[in-house]
Amino acid sequence: MASRSEILSLFRSLYRTARQFPDYNVREYIKRRTADGFRLNRDAPDAAAVFADGKAQLEVAKRQAVVYSLYAPKVRSIMELKP
Amino acid sequence: MAARSALLKYLRVNVQLAPQSARPSTPFSVLVRRCFSDEVRGSFLDKSEVTDRVIKVVKNFQKVDPSKVTPEAHFQNDLGLDSLDAVEIVMALEEEFGFEIPDNEADKINSIKLAVDFIASHPQAK
Repeated sequence: MASRSEILSLFRSLYRTARQFPDYNVREYIKRRTADGFRLNRDAPDAAAVFADGKAQLEVAKRQAVVYSLYAPKVRSIMELKP
Repeated sequence: MAARSALLKYLRVNVQLAPQSARPSTPFSVLVRRCFSDEVRGSFLDKSEVTDRVIKVVKNFQKVDPSKVTPEAHFQNDLGLDSLDAVEIVMALEEEFGFEIPDNEADKINSIKLAVDFIASHPQAK
């Protein structure tokens, strides 16, 4: 059973990994997916399995951050332009 | 061979010892300034400016009612946020101020006042 600080640490790690994606859409998707996934499993009965799955997903995100950085979009998303 | 040595005699370059005064000596005060320049040392931000920027970031957070945001607001008690939202706000503050807040410090930040105190006391915040 993961402790509260371990869970928050996993959440933070996923957010930090999301930041490394050069593509705005993917970056925002990972943040959204992380927040939704954590809230969906707030009262999950098999918390240990959910936590293990989250850690596996973090590893996937870390690998994909490298792959996506090799194929970064040439133009930035319009959502990133500051007025 | 003879031609070569004759040629070398004319091609010789005279080397003179450079006068000692030509080499600029760096005064100690310049060295001190260089070692502790603003980029390396960072500078502390003004507390009122930090407060304004923190409040702006929190107001932009989608789950927060902007009218409830005050400099003394507590994330969980006053703004109705949960611990995950608090993490999200701290991450947004990192992006706003351009430095990384370590996990153990980030866990302690649960109100606007604590966030302002931490950022104002951090030299790398910009």
